[in-house]
Amino acid sequence: MGFSDYMLSDSCRQSAGSELRFDGGQAAPVAVCNPGRLSVAVADGAQARLVLSHGAGCCSTVDVAVGDGASLSIVELFVGGRSTMRIAQGAASRVALTSVVAGDGSAEYRTALDGAQAECDLGCVFLAGDDEHAQVKIRVEHNVADCRSASTVKGVAAGRGEGRFEGMVYVAPDAQRTDARQTSRNLTLGDEARITTLPQLEIYADDVKCSHGATVGQMDSDAVLYMRQRGLSEDAARRLQIEGFVADVVMRCAVEEAGEALLAELNAKLERL
Amino acid sequence: MLSVKNLHASVGDKEILRGIDLEVRAGEVHAIMGPNGSGKSTFASVLAGNEKFTVTEGEVSFLGRNLLEMPIEDRAREGLFLGFQYPVEIPGVTMANFMKMAVAEQRKYRGEEPLTAAEFLRMMREKCAVVELDPKMTSRAVNEGFSGGEKKKNEIFQMAMLAPKLSILDETDSGLDIDALRIVATGVTKLKTADNATVVITHYQRLLDYIVPDYVHVLYKGRIIHSGDKSLALKLEREGYDWLINDYKE
Repeated sequence: MGFSDYMLSDSCRQSAGSELRFDGGQAAPVAVCNPGRLSVAVADGAQARLVLSHGAGCCSTVDVAVGDGASLSIVELFVGGRSTMRIAQGAASRVALTSVVAGDGSAEYRTALDGAQAECDLGCVFLAGDDEHAQVKIRVEHNVADCRSASTVKGVAAGRGEGRFEGMVYVAPDAQRTDARQTSRNLTLGDEARITTLPQLEIYADDVKCSHGATVGQMDSDAVLYMRQRGLSEDAARRLQIEGFVADVVMRCAVEEAGEALLAELNAKLERL
Repeated sequence: MLSVKNLHASVGDKEILRGIDLEVRAGEVHAIMGPNGSGKSTFASVLAGNEKFTVTEGEVSFLGRNLLEMPIEDRAREGLFLGFQYPVEIPGVTMANFMKMAVAEQRKYRGEEPLTAAEFLRMMREKCAVVELDPKMTSRAVNEGFSGGEKKKNEIFQMAMLAPKLSILDETDSGLDIDALRIVATGVTKLKTADNATVVITHYQRLLDYIVPDYVHVLYKGRIIHSGDKSLALKLEREGYDWLINDYKE
């Protein structure tokens, strides 16, 4: 089942409106295709799940307000398209996001942690095939004390593809006891593929735990050899290794039921890389 | 089963194997010993098809086919298994998924029906038991975060899953404590049949207390300079290699 099939299935509620309000407990995820201008509000204490897909040529701006004690899970797939999502989080709120940019496309997230004990976990994958340009930008603002954020971004570029990650963690002067982590791991396939990664920290508080790390590497030829020695073809070994590289992000899919459809899209894209 | 004649191999312009001859028949266990740097691991790698090494001379036939012409994966599918000295970590790929693909590809090559999910799971449980491997390990990423002992047990687990005709175990005993050594060696012994053969490459006689070899060969400077039965390993343990290699020193 592809991602669009999943979004049209009974397990989702389709929506075409430009405003979404969530007031209650966790119901079926709401699915929005090519959202354009969309505002999303999750009331204090409410729980919500959102599934978005972006097609080629679509440009979206999504504003999200998550109330105190509320939680929101988001899954996004980009098959082309660009989007900027601004998320404002209240006290003790929680946001979990899983996003895949498969091919040309740009996903930008600006998360403001405005209430104490707010938490956000962002997991993104971008895959740039030959002559494609895929990018992910993340800005997380720790505006008050005692918030936690974690971003994990995995990029793969093949052929003459280009991938780009820009990450910024901002910690305001009073945001003590901030816990912020940011990881960027990338894999280039072939000599002409390029990945640029720019992880940055801007910290104005002194009692914080912040970390960031970035790597760009190539296929592990020892692992390919090892898998071939067990009888896998070279192609299968390479694919399995790339699948393994991005798997952890998708395995922890924010909307669990969407995980399989997202993985199917990811694997289909990997097959074409 | 395996016939190696005058095998020479190099890495870059450095010749490492300088004319190896070896015959292995079904049902036999061979041990290859020798001091560091004698070419033991290179020999294993060349048989498995590691492209880092270039074969410059000689012939190898495996089950009547020219082994040297086959790509790595076809050697494996024909029934050649290499237990790695340093098993490789593959992040994000679970052991179960890896073995499912490996078993499926090998069965397909041999024209056998694919296993059902239930058959595969049953087989995994059975083969885990051979090396006392916790079946939970199979849902972890291949070798990632495994201890030295777990990695080597995992090699023998894979050997059990793939049921090869010829297993070459490259220093499977290195880095094992005595319990892990016993488990690994007992596993290998359990997998022995009249139809398969094993070549164990080792530094230490102690592995051969558990895996009793029919032949022991001493490899030195890229050639087998001496062969004997299992008593040779004991003599080497007591007396070292000097009495053998003095004649070959430059």
